[in-house]
Amino acid sequence: MKENPRLQAVQAVRQELSAIGIDPFGVRIERIPSPTEGLIDGRPTILAGTNNYLGLTFDPDCIAAARDALETAGTGTTGSRMANGSYAGHRELELDLARYFSKRDAIVFSTGYQANLGMISALAGPGDTVMIDADSHASIYDGCRLSGANTIRFRHNDPADLAKRMRRLGADAAQALIVVEGVYSMLGDRAPLREFVDVKNEFGAPLMVDEAHSLGVLGEQGRGVSEEAGVLAEVDYVVGTFSKRLGNTGGFCVGDSADMDVLRYASRPYVFTASLPPATIAATRQALRTLAGADALRQRLRDNAARLHAGLDALGFRLGAPPNAVVAVLLGDKLQALKFWDHLLKHGVYVNLMMPPATPGGESLLRCSVSAAHTPAQIDAICAAFASWTGAKA
Amino acid sequence: MNHPEVVAQLVEILTPLAEGRVAVIGEDTELTGELALDSLKVMDLVLAVEDWFDISIPINALADVRTVGDLASTIQKNRGENA
Repeated sequence: MKENPRLQAVQAVRQELSAIGIDPFGVRIERIPSPTEGLIDGRPTILAGTNNYLGLTFDPDCIAAARDALETAGTGTTGSRMANGSYAGHRELELDLARYFSKRDAIVFSTGYQANLGMISALAGPGDTVMIDADSHASIYDGCRLSGANTIRFRHNDPADLAKRMRRLGADAAQALIVVEGVYSMLGDRAPLREFVDVKNEFGAPLMVDEAHSLGVLGEQGRGVSEEAGVLAEVDYVVGTFSKRLGNTGGFCVGDSADMDVLRYASRPYVFTASLPPATIAATRQALRTLAGADALRQRLRDNAARLHAGLDALGFRLGAPPNAVVAVLLGDKLQALKFWDHLLKHGVYVNLMMPPATPGGESLLRCSVSAAHTPAQIDAICAAFASWTGAKA
Repeated sequence: MNHPEVVAQLVEILTPLAEGRVAVIGEDTELTGELALDSLKVMDLVLAVEDWFDISIPINALADVRTVGDLASTIQKNRGENA
C-alpha cells in the first residue's frame, strides 16, 4: 500500500523519538492501585500527570454507585440517546448539573471533547462568527471547524484584544459566539473572566466558558472560575468534563438559554454517538454530590498545589502560573524536556511531557497535575525527583 | 491598496520573523516552506498582520494560503479590495 503523505509529519516525529529511545506517548500503566500510584515498566511510580485532581477514581461511594448501576442496568446503552432512547440516569444527571450550576438546563455528552465539538457546532454555522482565545484547546478549534463558522482568534487572555476584534465585526458582533477557558490546561493560567464578561455585555454577544480544568476546585462551591469571579450568572454556557475532577469520562454543557433542548438535537456529536453507560452516569452523579461538600478535598488540593509549586520554585525552575492544580515547568528546548521527562519516569514520577505545537510560546514543558489524594510525602518525592536532574533548568 | 503594496507591507512584517533564512522575500516566498515558519509562528504572524491592517482574518480563510502573495490576496479580499 502507498504511504499516506498526511501521516509523514507524525511518522517523522515518531522516528525522531524512536532514534532517541524515549517514547513519551506510549506510556503503559500496568497496574493502578490508587489514584496517585501506578506500576510503569515494573516500577512503582507516583502519578502526577493524570488530571485526577480530587482523586475520586477510587472513591468508595462512586465505586458503589457504579457497581450497583452495572448490576441493575448492564454494561452499556448500546446506542445514541436520540435514536435508541435515554436511560433515566442520563436525564437525572442533566438535572443534577443544572441545579449545581443554578442554570436552566444541561446537556450531557459522551466526552468533554464532544461537549465543545457539539455545542460550538450547534450554536454556530457557516456565515456566523466564533471568537476564540488563541491558546484554546483542540476541542474548541475542532468545534469551530465542524461548525463551518468564521473563526477569529484573539490574543491569549486579552479582553482588550477581543474587544478590538468585536468592534471590527460591526453590527454582527452581537451574534458572535465568544469562547474562552476558565483555566488553560497547559500552563494552568486563569482567564480574566470578569473582564471578558464586560466585553460580552458591551456587545451583547453570548459567552461560553470551558471549565474543564477548574470545575470542582475553584469557586466557593467548586463551580469554576466563573463562580470565583462572581460572573456565573452572566456566562451563557458553561462546558465541562466528567474526567479530571469527577473521576470518570463524559462531558456536559449547562446554560440558561431557552434553546437548550433544541440544541442537543442540532448537535451531531450528541446525536450520532452512543450515550454514556449506566455505571459512568451513576458514578458521576455520586461524584457531583461529593463535589458539593468537598471543602476538605479542595483544601487538600490547594495545599498540595502550593507545596509542589513552592518546592519547584525553590529549586529554581521556571513555572507557568501561580499555584494551581496544574503546575507547569517551562523548559524551552524539546530534547532537554524529553530527557528530563524520561529521567523523572525512571525515578518513579510520571508527569506529562508537552511540546509545541500543543504548548504556547513554542515552549516544551513538564506538566504536573496535582491531586488531593497525593500525600505531602509524595509531593516531596516529586520535588526530590526534579531536584535530582542535573541538566540545565531552562 | 493594490496587490504589490500589500505584498511590500507583508515583507516588512515578515523580514524580522525570517531571521535571515531567505535573502529576498517576495510574492512567491512560501511561509512554511522557505521561511520555515511553523504553524504557531504563522498564527502569530496572522495576529500581527490583523493589527497592521486593522482587519480580522478568520482562520478558515487561511486554509489555502501558502505564499506571501496568497496572504496578500486574503488581506485584500478581507478589506473588500480586488485581489
